[in-house]
Amino acid sequence: MTVVAGRTYPAVKFEIEPERVAVFARAIGVDPDDGVPPTFAAVYSLGVTVPHLFGDEEAAVDFSRLLHAEQEFEWTRHPRVGETVVSRGRVASDISRRGMRFVSFETDTTDAEGGPLCRSRALFVIRS
Amino acid sequence: MTERRVTFTREQIAAYAEASGDQNPIHLDDDFAKTVGLPGVIAHGMLQMGILATVAAEEAGGPSRLRRISVRFAAMVVPGDTVTFIASRGAGERLELTAVNQKGEAVLTKSSADIA
Repeated sequence: MTVVAGRTYPAVKFEIEPERVAVFARAIGVDPDDGVPPTFAAVYSLGVTVPHLFGDEEAAVDFSRLLHAEQEFEWTRHPRVGETVVSRGRVASDISRRGMRFVSFETDTTDAEGGPLCRSRALFVIRS
Repeated sequence: MTERRVTFTREQIAAYAEASGDQNPIHLDDDFAKTVGLPGVIAHGMLQMGILATVAAEEAGGPSRLRRISVRFAAMVVPGDTVTFIASRGAGERLELTAVNQKGEAVLTKSSADIA
C-alpha cells in the first residue's frame, strides 16, 4: 500500500439522462418530474470518480474491508436533466492510525463550460 | 419540521442498487453478506442519505434550495427496519437532520444541511 494523499484522477464526463434520473427518483421515493434529486450526486459526482480510487493498484484500497463512514455534498448549482457534467476525483488525505486507514476522497463536478456544480467529500475507513 | 417514516425492504434496496449503480453484493445477496460478517443484506448508506435529503429538501421549500448536506453513517439498516427521518430548522440557514430506527438508535449522526 502506498499513501496516495494528493493524488488526482482523470476527468469523467457524464450525461444526466432523464431515464436514469427517473429511476433514481423512484428509488428514493420522490416524484421523477421534480428534476434531478440532489443526492443523484452519488451517481454523477462520487459514483463516476470513485472507481478510479478503488481501481488504483498503488492505493490498494481493500474493498472488502472498506466502510463508507461519512459523506457530504455541497452545491453551487444543481444540474439539470439532460446536462453533461464533468467530475474529477482526488485523494484529499490518506492517514493510518491504530490499524485503521482513513481516506478522504473529494470530487469536484462542473458543467460543460467549467462552471462549478457540486463538491463531494467521502470519508472511507479501511480496517487492516 | 418535516418527518418521513420508511420501512426498508429488499425490493427498495435492490431498486437503489440498480438506480445508483452500486451493485455491491452486501446489498443484494444474503449469503455473500454473511461471508463478510453481516447479518444479511444491508441498505446502502447512500439510500438512507438520499431519503434524508428529500426530507431536508421538503423542509427547505424545494430541492433546488439545498446547498449542502452531510451525514455520518453510524449504524446498519436491514430489511424490516423502520427509520424515522426528520429535518428541522436550526440557527440561520441550517437544518438539523436526524435518522433514528425503531429501537431508538441513530443510524445517521452528525447530520445537517444548509439551505439557500
